[in-house]
Amino acid sequence: MGLFDKLAGWLGLKKKEVHVLCLGLDNSGKTTIINKLKPSNAQTQDIVPTIGFSIEKFKTSSLSFTVFDMSGQGRYRNLWEHYYKEGQAIIFVIDSSDKLRMVVAKEELDTLLNHPDEREYYNENSSLGFNSMGYFKCLHGNDSLVKFKGRFSSLLDIKHRRLPILFFANKMDLRDAISSVKVSQLLSLENIKDKPWHICASDALKGEGLQEGVDWLQDQMQAMKT
Amino acid sequence: MLKKFDKKDEESGGGSNPFQHLEKSAVLQEARVFNETPINPRKCAHILTKILYLINQGEHLGVMEATEAFFAMTRLFQSNDPTLRRMCYLTIKKMSSIAEDVIIVTSSLTKDMTGKDDNYRGPAVRALYQITDSTMLQAIERYMKQAIVDKVPSVSSSALVSSLHLLKTSFDVVKRWVNEAQEAASSDNIMVQYHALGLLYHIRKNDRLAVNKMLSKFTRHGLKSPFAYCLMIRIASKLLEEEAGSRDSPLFDFIESCLRNKHEMVVYEAASAIVNLPNCTAKELAPAVSVLQLFCSSPKAALRYAAVRTLNKVAMKHPSAVTACNLDLENLVTDSNRSIATLAITTLLKTGSESSIDRLMKQISSFMSEISDEFKVVVVQAINALCQKYPRKHAVLMNFLFTMLREEGGFEYKRAIVDCIISIIEENSESKETGLSHLCEFIEDCEFTVLATRILHLLGQEGPKTNNPSKYIRFIYNRVVLEHEEVRAGAVSALAKFGAQNEEMLPSILVLLKRCVMDDDNEVRDRATFYLNVLEQKQKALNAGYILNGLTVSIPGLERALHQYTLEPSEKPFDLKSVPLATAPIVEQRAENVPVAVAKQPEKVAATRQEIFQEQLGAIPEFRGLGPLFKSSPEPVALTELETEYVVRCTKHTFVSHMVFQFDCTNTLNDQILENVTVQMEPTEGYEVMGYIPAKSLVYNQPGTCYTLVALSEEDPTAEECGSGGDVSFAFASPAAVACTFSCMMKFTVKDCDPNTGETDDEGYEDEYVLEDLEVTVADHIQRVLKPNFGAAWDEVGDEYEKEETFTLSAIKTLEEAVSNIVKFLGMQPCERSDKVPDNKNSHTLYLAGVFRGGHDLLLRARLLLTDTVTMQVTARSAEELPVDVIMASVG
Repeated sequence: MGLFDKLAGWLGLKKKEVHVLCLGLDNSGKTTIINKLKPSNAQTQDIVPTIGFSIEKFKTSSLSFTVFDMSGQGRYRNLWEHYYKEGQAIIFVIDSSDKLRMVVAKEELDTLLNHPDEREYYNENSSLGFNSMGYFKCLHGNDSLVKFKGRFSSLLDIKHRRLPILFFANKMDLRDAISSVKVSQLLSLENIKDKPWHICASDALKGEGLQEGVDWLQDQMQAMKT
Repeated sequence: MLKKFDKKDEESGGGSNPFQHLEKSAVLQEARVFNETPINPRKCAHILTKILYLINQGEHLGVMEATEAFFAMTRLFQSNDPTLRRMCYLTIKKMSSIAEDVIIVTSSLTKDMTGKDDNYRGPAVRALYQITDSTMLQAIERYMKQAIVDKVPSVSSSALVSSLHLLKTSFDVVKRWVNEAQEAASSDNIMVQYHALGLLYHIRKNDRLAVNKMLSKFTRHGLKSPFAYCLMIRIASKLLEEEAGSRDSPLFDFIESCLRNKHEMVVYEAASAIVNLPNCTAKELAPAVSVLQLFCSSPKAALRYAAVRTLNKVAMKHPSAVTACNLDLENLVTDSNRSIATLAITTLLKTGSESSIDRLMKQISSFMSEISDEFKVVVVQAINALCQKYPRKHAVLMNFLFTMLREEGGFEYKRAIVDCIISIIEENSESKETGLSHLCEFIEDCEFTVLATRILHLLGQEGPKTNNPSKYIRFIYNRVVLEHEEVRAGAVSALAKFGAQNEEMLPSILVLLKRCVMDDDNEVRDRATFYLNVLEQKQKALNAGYILNGLTVSIPGLERALHQYTLEPSEKPFDLKSVPLATAPIVEQRAENVPVAVAKQPEKVAATRQEIFQEQLGAIPEFRGLGPLFKSSPEPVALTELETEYVVRCTKHTFVSHMVFQFDCTNTLNDQILENVTVQMEPTEGYEVMGYIPAKSLVYNQPGTCYTLVALSEEDPTAEECGSGGDVSFAFASPAAVACTFSCMMKFTVKDCDPNTGETDDEGYEDEYVLEDLEVTVADHIQRVLKPNFGAAWDEVGDEYEKEETFTLSAIKTLEEAVSNIVKFLGMQPCERSDKVPDNKNSHTLYLAGVFRGGHDLLLRARLLLTDTVTMQVTARSAEELPVDVIMASVG
């Protein structure tokens, strides 16, 4: 970052860019939330199920967010991992009225937090052997080494990074919605020890609770930066 | 960045292409840049260009690496740089078939296509359809419908074209977009209207009525877009072609009315449609030709070209219609555009009179060197047509061809010329000597192996029959000395043919062949040794059988038989007669107007058909002992009308002493199932039915096959020979033993069944169905075989079993008719082009060759004399008595 950019940053002219992944089951309200966070002239009227992903941008008082709004449908969830290394924070949206699929949400969350899976990780590399790192280096030169190191140094995967996670217990307006405390119990959020997290009750249709969550996220990002 | 790169490259002197030495792995490595933040649009766009370049160069990307690069690319949607975004669309389109999970970009694309930036919307639609499969289509259907009726023409056009592509995979979904397409068809934009019409047509293509309605609707309202008009004309002419006949229909009126359209494009399209209509009359042609005539004097080169090209085509079918344009065409002869001039001249050659040929030839030779090979081929074809029309002009035309042959040219061009010369030699015996000597000169310096060997073969065939055969020897032997192995081998074969036919030259030929035995190449040496040994025997029969007339068996069949023989060695020597014959070249005589380039017909198809039958029959245990399949009748005979309850067609298979009749039956009643289907046959005499192999069951509309096995009588078939000199008609008078009529009856058990569920009743009843009579003719027993040198074969067989008889053909009035009837009736191959009767002669000799079942050569010479009726003297020869008797009995 050049001097000019820094200067602009201090003066508040140019905002710092942050990449956020927006995850969660299908029909939980991810796209609706992101849509609501955008300036009112950029919002769309009709929300349809996302296929694949879409990139959205919005700004808060001090940050500029680029959100990867991923599709929540079952068959696309395995594609999330392609974008994991992109994210500096995660927004995880839960449909509080869908008690039946709360377990599914928990399972997806656990897989996410444990990515990459240690066992796979060993299997993948055992054929190479851990001691062969030096050999590897000789063979492929610098570039490969960087990649190889990258996978080990856990700078880019979810499990070893201190990513802030924001949970939205969405659809609070529905009559059979359960409280955010109950949601955090069902997802056993208390077990997440190594990452800062926060859960907000929200109603994306009206926009209630969104600002509170985003404010928290903004604070976290700035805290991490300094 | 991009510019800088180019410059650097130029300085380093790596040529003008900055992408020349790209390596896949390096480029894919570079693609990691996509993951960086912030995104550098110029750099990324440049890398995408490299990836696309690699893919377009045919570089293979593995699924894994492609997917990785693709997903990295998807991140670039963050950037709003227009160039980068368009590059992304292109990459998506290119990689949609290589990478996995490409649907990941669906939402990003739908966002772009419904967004505000019109520059993105059209390309986004086109990229979207590439990544969408039929299961995903539902999800984007709404967007597609909206895009079709979009106000922005580029978006609407893109959506329409994409729909057209999607139609191939998901017809049922796209069909629902008809209303939107209908709306787009009334758009003011010419492209949108054209694309909408295209989509509408393809949706309704299978429904004639709907297409007709659509056409009449649009013709009534009129269209803005000339493209749409062109499309309508094409649709209309296709419909007319299918209708075949009625020219009064509104469709034709529509096409004709388009001749008066204000757009030249539409006018031309209409004219060319009329010209291309099958069996178009001169009256219908006239307005189209006059429009084309107007175009001939147009200042636009494209129009002149189109007009003269179309007129050239018309001239083949209706030369008289084009004569009216001769004056305009004359003007075009000096056109500065050589393509136009060539076409004009060739058209004039087709329409003009004999007297104008010399002048035109002179004109065309003045700029022959300036036109491209393709047009030269057009000229050659025109000359070929001329030679057929005016045989007397062959000297002028031949000369011209030889000058062309001497000049530089590609293979296609040279082949066209050689083809043309050969066909002239064949048609016109006067030209033979000059033609051959010119061809000899040509092979002195010929770079095309195929042409050289072909000419050598021709020399071997025709050379010995000329007055002074020895002059060709020098040319042929030069090839042995100078050329590479394939040509040398061809030359050796040609030499041997001279030796076999000419006693005087034999000693010198033997000397030459002895030298060839020392050759470096195996093939050449083998051929030389073989021919040398055969020729040293000095026996006519050997010469004829092994040098002049080659093997007549089918090569794949021979290979299989030999393989079989090596697997099961037996005491007996290998019998060449057990090998199935090559299904001889059936289409020898070419259609008159076929361009020279497409004269060769693929003969392989027929051979494989017989092999399929052989395999099918071999699989049935009852037929295993019958030996090799000798002949299968070329076309199945229908034994029922096409639209009856049951459709039966019969194919006749001939074996050495048996015949198998294969009945392909189809049940067209959906409330019946037939079981145990056989066809009972009642032979008249001489044949004995050995057994039936039933078709187990015939379900509605599924063809089944049953067989009937018949043994042929071995007794003397001439017991009832007709008296000679009798009145003969070819409608089958004589009950000779080989020729026979069977009455056929299909027997089966009927079970009623429910047409909907397919359940059958358990109880069935016996029923029969009378079929038409089936005829077995002599032709079924004889396989056509072409003997390139009939005289030699005739001598080889010898006169041991020769028979001769004379008949009067009272029903036949001309020699041509007689020849074609005899050939058809006997199913034998005319040799030495004796099936072509020269004009204005009242006598003719027809040579026929064939192989009788069992593998005996059968040769027939028919001398025909035309008085009031045709008198025919038939002489037949074979190595066995039976075939001669059979053939005589059947003719009698």
